[in-house]
Amino acid sequence: MEYKRALEFQIKTLEEGIGKPFSLDRIFFVEHPPVFTLGKRGGEENLTVSREFLASRGIDLVQTDRGGNITYHGPGQAVLYPVVNLEAKRMGVKDFVWGLEEIMKQTALDFHIQASRNSLNHGLWVGNAKIGSVGLSIKKGISFHGLAMNINLDLEPFSWINPCGLSHISVTSVKNELQKAGKDFSGPAMNQVKASFKKHFASVLNYDISEPHES
Amino acid sequence: MKDLKDLNFPDDVKYTKDHEWARKEGDLITIGIDDYAQDQLGEIVFVELPEIGAGFSKGDEFGSVESVKAVSQIYIPVSGEVVEINAGLEDAPELVNQACYTQGWLIRVKPSQASELDSLMDKAAYLDMLKG
Repeated sequence: MEYKRALEFQIKTLEEGIGKPFSLDRIFFVEHPPVFTLGKRGGEENLTVSREFLASRGIDLVQTDRGGNITYHGPGQAVLYPVVNLEAKRMGVKDFVWGLEEIMKQTALDFHIQASRNSLNHGLWVGNAKIGSVGLSIKKGISFHGLAMNINLDLEPFSWINPCGLSHISVTSVKNELQKAGKDFSGPAMNQVKASFKKHFASVLNYDISEPHES
Repeated sequence: MKDLKDLNFPDDVKYTKDHEWARKEGDLITIGIDDYAQDQLGEIVFVELPEIGAGFSKGDEFGSVESVKAVSQIYIPVSGEVVEINAGLEDAPELVNQACYTQGWLIRVKPSQASELDSLMDKAAYLDMLKG
């Protein structure tokens, strides 16, 4: 799903939920076509190729209002956008970010990868290589944007930025780590990742999740 | 998150449901985010404040606070014009965590409807709301 379309869905959910503590949260699981996004405070200075170069590849650069710096999304990356009323649940922002990192950590473990937090930056890391990122925006106590975990995407576009505004770090994926470990790897299907996210979201954040009815 | 009893809520300010505080100082009203907000946000790395001279109505977004990869909007407790901003937060946003009611204040406004301050919650009412 296009980045901007996914954002519209989130904002619609958020606007429906403002001031209604009992309205249902929604969690969107998507993959995006290739796109770079900037944080509220920017990050274009961490783009190491020109806008023209991105345009020649047909890749958009989108300004957002989330926290954090520049990042890349593309096919093969599992993106989760939980539109959650933190205020109604009395959940702190820092606890929610910790929870999103934990969901990715547990998901990595499902694929036999040991990943951890890193004092360099939020998100999830395998050593000094980033495997998952978090970026949120909060309006009237409702969180949107979310997390992105690299499953089997082409990592080359990350070489065109200093991810999260950090130079001298690298980026990895589940596929990359499994190949390094010499495992025969064709990559988990996205529905396996979705199932892991769903299971760990429910347990880490103590949450009931149901699939939407067809409409 | 800390337990409510471990958070500090002074008596000389009024509170909003969005966790801002407002204190009358002469003809002006000083505004910040309260101890509950700074605790649940975590380490604050950037504070976005409005321009001096900007006018807002009660409840408008007047800026944002970035912590742990999250940008949170902040809402003005009373209508008025911004006459001063805490420029020190540009280099030291952590003051909001360390001293949210004193050095970590955000803006001062000249209120357009002074009575709005009275409609905000006092400490007792705010604590009741937090306890749900």
